[in-house]
Amino acid sequence: MKRLMMRWEVLLLGILVLELAVFGAINPRFLNLGSLLYGTSDFVQVGIVAVPLTLVIIAGGIDVSFASTVGLCAITFGIANFFGMPLAVSLGVGFATGALAGLLNATIIRLTRLQPLVVTLGGLYMFSGAATVLSGVVGANGFDGIGGFPAAFTGLGYQMIFGLPMPLFVFLSFSLVMLVLLHVTRFGRLVFQIGQNESAARHAGMPVARVQMLTYVITGLAAALAGLLLSAYFGSARVDLGKATLLPAITAAVLGGASIYGGQGSVIGTIIATFIIGYLQQGLQMSGVPSQVSSALSGALLVVVVAMRHGAPLLREFIPVRPRPSE
Amino acid sequence: MLERIARERVATLFLVTVIVLLLVGMAAPGFLSARTASIIWSNGLVLMLVALGIFPVILTRNIDVSGGSVLGLSAVTLGLTVNAGAPLPVGIAAALGAGAAAGALNGGLVALLGVPSIVATLGTLGLFRGVMLIATGGEWIEELPQGVKDLADKGFFGLSAIGIVALAVIVVVWLVLRTRRGRWIFAVGDNREAARHLGLPVRRIEFFAFVWAGLMYAIAGIAFAAQIGFVPNQAGSGLELRAIAALVLGGISLLGGVGSVAGVVIGVIFFTSIDTALVFLKIPAYWNDLIGGAMLLAVLLIDGRLRIALEARDRAARYRRGGTQPSKSRDLEEAA
Repeated sequence: MKRLMMRWEVLLLGILVLELAVFGAINPRFLNLGSLLYGTSDFVQVGIVAVPLTLVIIAGGIDVSFASTVGLCAITFGIANFFGMPLAVSLGVGFATGALAGLLNATIIRLTRLQPLVVTLGGLYMFSGAATVLSGVVGANGFDGIGGFPAAFTGLGYQMIFGLPMPLFVFLSFSLVMLVLLHVTRFGRLVFQIGQNESAARHAGMPVARVQMLTYVITGLAAALAGLLLSAYFGSARVDLGKATLLPAITAAVLGGASIYGGQGSVIGTIIATFIIGYLQQGLQMSGVPSQVSSALSGALLVVVVAMRHGAPLLREFIPVRPRPSE
Repeated sequence: MLERIARERVATLFLVTVIVLLLVGMAAPGFLSARTASIIWSNGLVLMLVALGIFPVILTRNIDVSGGSVLGLSAVTLGLTVNAGAPLPVGIAAALGAGAAAGALNGGLVALLGVPSIVATLGTLGLFRGVMLIATGGEWIEELPQGVKDLADKGFFGLSAIGIVALAVIVVVWLVLRTRRGRWIFAVGDNREAARHLGLPVRRIEFFAFVWAGLMYAIAGIAFAAQIGFVPNQAGSGLELRAIAALVLGGISLLGGVGSVAGVVIGVIFFTSIDTALVFLKIPAYWNDLIGGAMLLAVLLIDGRLRIALEARDRAARYRRGGTQPSKSRDLEEAA
C-alpha cells in the first residue's frame, strides 16, 4: 500500500484532482462534465505525440522534430486529397509521411552517432520547410491551409464514440496500445533496458538500433495521427498545426516521469500529465486569467515539478541522517 | 585529405562558405560587394550574440534553449523603461539586469538544484515568454525613441554601436577561453567528475556560464530592438534553435569540452550567408527552413561519417602496429 502511494503517477493523479477542485471552486461551470469532456479536443493532440515521445525518451533518445511532422503529414494528406485520391489512400499518404520522417531521423542518428537532439533539431527545420514548400505546390501560399476535405473526413473530428468525443477516444485507445506495448511486451522491456544502459544492451545482443528506430517511427506515426485529427477538427491542413505541441508534449513526458537520461518513465504518467497541462490552460482561461499568464504558469509548473523531483534527493544530502525510530 | 577536413572543421567550413558565396556571386552579379558583407554582418548580429551566449553553456556540457524568450524579455524591459521616459543607459542597464537575472534562474536550477539543463531551460523558455507577455499585456512595443534605433546605425568604419559590441564580445570570449580560468570551462565539459576531483568549483562555473548566456541574450535583445525599431510579441522566438544549429555547424560538440570562438563566428556567418544569398537569388523566403534544415542535416551526416571513418582508421593502425611491435605499441598507447 505504501509503495503504491509513493508512486509518481499517484502523486500526479492527486495534482490533477486538486487542480480540478481549485478551478471548480473558482468557477463552478468548469466542473460541468460536458465541458470537461469536450474541452479535451483542444489538447489531446499534445498527448498523442507525448505518449510515443515517452518511449523515445525512455530508450535514451529525444525527438523535437515531431512538431513539424504534424504539419508535414497534414499537408501531404491535404495534397493527396487535392489531387483526387480516395480518402483511404490520402490517409495512407499522411501516415507514410510520418513514418518516413521518423525513419529519416533514426537513420541519421544511427549513421552519425550524434546526439538525437541535434539531428531532430535539423529535422524540425527541414520538415516544416518541406511542408511550407509543399503547400505552395497546390497554391496554398505561405501559412494558408489546404481545405476541401470530404464531409466524411471532417465529420470524424466531431463524432462521438462510446459517449466520448472522437479526438479523446483516439487518444485513449492509442495510449492503451502504447501502454501495452511499453509495459507488457518484450519490446517494452528492451526499450527500458536500452535506456538504462545502451552498451550493456548491445553487448547482451539486444537489437539496440532496431528498437530505437522503431520508437522514432512510432513517434512519426503518432505525429501523423495528430496532424490528421487536427485537420479533421479544423477542416483544413496547415503547416503550423503542430507548432504549439512542441513544449507541452515534452513537458507532459517529463512531468509524467520520463527521465531525460533514459531508462525511466511510464505511459500512464504521461497521460495524466497531459490532462494536468491541458486542464491547467483551460481552467486558467475560464477563471479569467489572460492566456499569456497561463503560458507562464505552465512553464513554471514544469520548472517547479522537475526541480522538486531533482531537488528532493539533493536536500536529503544536506539533512543529517537521523536514527530511525524502531518500527 | 579526409583527416584535414575532419580535424580542421573551422577552416573547412570557411572554405565552404567562400565557395558558396563565390557561386552565388556568379549566379547573381552584384552579390559580391562590401555592401553584401555589411548586410550579412548586420543580419547575423542578433544570432551571433545569442550563439556566443550559448557557447560557454554548451562547452560545460549543458544546453540552454531559453535564449529566444530571454531575448524577448530583455527587449521588452528596454522598451518599457525607455518608453516610460527613463534615459537610455538606464534602459540598457535594466535590460542587462533582466537578462542576467533570467540567466541566474537557469543557472540556479541547473547548477544548484541539479535539474537536467534541457528540461530546466525548456520550462523557463515558456516562463520567460509568459512573463514578457504579462509585462506588455500582449501588446507590441512600438515607437521606440530614436536613441535606441541609433544604436544600430552605421557610424565608425561602417560599424554600428551594436556591431562594435559584438566584435568586442568575440574578442573577449576568445581571450577569456585562453586564460587559466577559461580552460576550466572546457575541463568541466570534458569530464565533470575529473574536474571536481581536481578541485574546480564545477557548480560555480556552470552557474556563471548560464549568467553569461543571459547577459548575451540581453545584448542580443537590445540589438534586436535597435535594428527593427519595435518589439513584437514573438521577438526572438525560435532563435535559440538556430543558434544551436549554427554552433553545431561550427564544430562545437554538444557533448561538451570541444569548440572554438572561430567556429561560432563562422557557423553563424555561414547560416546568415545562406539566408542572404537566397534573397539575392530571388528564392522565396519560405524555402529558407527547408534549405537550412537540409544543409544542417547534410553537414552533420558528412561530419559524423568522417569522424567514424577516421576513428576506425586510427584503430586499425593501432592494431597493425600492435601485431608487429607489441612492446612499442604499448608505449604509444600509454603516451596517447
